[in-house]
Amino acid sequence: MAPLPTADLTTLHRADGSATYTHLSHTIIGSVNGPIEVQRRDELPSSATLEVNIRPAGGVGTPRERHLETLVHDTLRSVVLVEKIPRTLVQVTLQVRSLPEEESGGADSSTTASSLTLLPHLLHTSLLALLSASIPLRTTLTSTVVAIPRDGQGMLVSPTANELLRRRPMRSIHVFAFDGEGKLLLNESEGEFGVEEWDEACEMAEEVCCKGDGGVGLGEGMDVDGEGQAQSLEAWLRGVVGRKVEVEQRWRVAT
Amino acid sequence: MSVSLTIVLPGDEIPSSALPKPQNQKKALTLGPGLRHIPPGTITTTIAGALVTDNKKNAAWIEYNSGRYLPSTNDLIIATVNTSSGEAFNCFITPNTPLATLPHLAFEGATKKTRPQLPPNALVYARVANPGRDSIPELTCVDASGKGDGLGPLKGGMVFKISLGMARRLLAGRKKGEVVVLEGLSEKVGFEVAIGRNGYLWVDGGNVKTTLAVGRAVQEVDEQALGEKGQRKVVERVLKSL
Repeated sequence: MAPLPTADLTTLHRADGSATYTHLSHTIIGSVNGPIEVQRRDELPSSATLEVNIRPAGGVGTPRERHLETLVHDTLRSVVLVEKIPRTLVQVTLQVRSLPEEESGGADSSTTASSLTLLPHLLHTSLLALLSASIPLRTTLTSTVVAIPRDGQGMLVSPTANELLRRRPMRSIHVFAFDGEGKLLLNESEGEFGVEEWDEACEMAEEVCCKGDGGVGLGEGMDVDGEGQAQSLEAWLRGVVGRKVEVEQRWRVAT
Repeated sequence: MSVSLTIVLPGDEIPSSALPKPQNQKKALTLGPGLRHIPPGTITTTIAGALVTDNKKNAAWIEYNSGRYLPSTNDLIIATVNTSSGEAFNCFITPNTPLATLPHLAFEGATKKTRPQLPPNALVYARVANPGRDSIPELTCVDASGKGDGLGPLKGGMVFKISLGMARRLLAGRKKGEVVVLEGLSEKVGFEVAIGRNGYLWVDGGNVKTTLAVGRAVQEVDEQALGEKGQRKVVERVLKSL
C-alpha cells in the first residue's frame, strides 16, 4: 500500500481555513472562506451555497477542472451541514501546486485517466480546509482510487503515477469516497469492468479508507501517529485533526 | 479544569458516558457550539475540536479556535460602522458578511434629537441582539432598561486582531481563561480595553506607546499560547520598556 498523505492545517493566514496536502507527489493547497455573504442570485433560503474552484498546476481551468469541480461540489454538499448556515456562501478554492512528473507531461492519452486519479486528493484537501475553517459538517470523508490493469490481475489501490504509467493502459479506474460511518459517498468509474470487479474494488477501497473503524473511538486521535502504513485513512485523518486541536489547546498545559 | 482532552471529529457520536453528570438531575442538558442533537437521543459533533463538559451547568460544548466568527445572541463584539442610513448604522461584524444594523436610538441616552454621529470606520462596542440566521443581524448598545453598561462608540485607541479563542478566554475571566497579562500590566500602567468576541481587542492607553505595548503583549500571549509564568515574563518585559 502507498504511504499515507501528509497534511498541514491553517497554512494560509488570510483565509478562514486552509490546508496544504501532499500525497504521491501531488501537492494541493486548499482554502475555505465562509460563511460569507452570498450573491442574491445564488442565495438559497434554507441552506448554504457551496462554491468550488479548482485551479490546475499550470494555465487556466479547462472543462476537466469544471468536471472535477462538479464532482467535489456534489460530494461536499452531502458532507457540509448546509441547513445550519442558510443564506450564506462557503467558498472552497483548490490550487494544484504540483503533479507527479509522469502526469504533468501534457495532453496525451493519459490525461483522461489522470482526471480521476486527482479526485481523492482534491476531496481530502477540501475536507481538511473545511475542518480548519470550523464549518459545521455532518461527517468526515475519506477517498481512494483503485485501478484494474488490462490483464485483470492485481488491483492497484491508490497507485503511484509511475505504477500507472508502467502498467498502462488500465482497463478501468474507480474512485470511491466514504463518510465517517463507512457509507459510500461517491463512486466514479471509468473504463470496462464487470459487477464482480467493481464489488472487489469497492471492498478494497473500503478497507483502505475505513479499516479498523470500530477500534478508533473517541479520544484515540492522539496516539495514532507513527504507527506506519497499517493504519487506514480514517485513522490518519484523526491524527491530523488531533495535532491541530493539540496546538489550539496548548495554553491549557502551558506554564 | 481537567487537562485530558477528548478530540472529536465531525459526525462522532458522543456516548452518554462522556456527557456531563450533573448533581442536580432536574437540570436540562445544554449543548453548546459544535454539538447537534438528533432526536430521539443521539448527540453528534459538527466541528473538529476538543470536547469540554461542565458538570455544574450540565453543559457540553466543543472548544475550537479557528475559522470565522459566527454571531450568536448576547455576544459582545467590536463592530465597524460602514454607512449610516435614515434610522440605523450599517456595521461590519466580520469582513465579507452581510452588514448588521445598529439603530441610532440603540445608544445610551439617545433620542430623536440627540442621535450619535458616527463616521464610516468608527468602532462600536456592541451586543448582538439578533444573530440574523434568517434575517439581517441586529446589534444594540443598550440593555432592556436603556443603560449602556460600557457599550457604545469607542473613541481613540487602537484595534488589535486576536484569535477567537483568545477573545473567549479574555471574556471568561481570570479563573477560567487563565489570562493574567492584562491584570499584570494594569498594576503599573493605566489603560482601557474592550474585547470583541469577533476576534478584536481595542486598547486605549492614553498614548500610542502604552496602547501598542498592551496590544502587542496580548497578541504575543495569544500566538505563543503562554501559560501564567510566560505571561508574567511578558508583563515584566513590557513594563520595563515603558
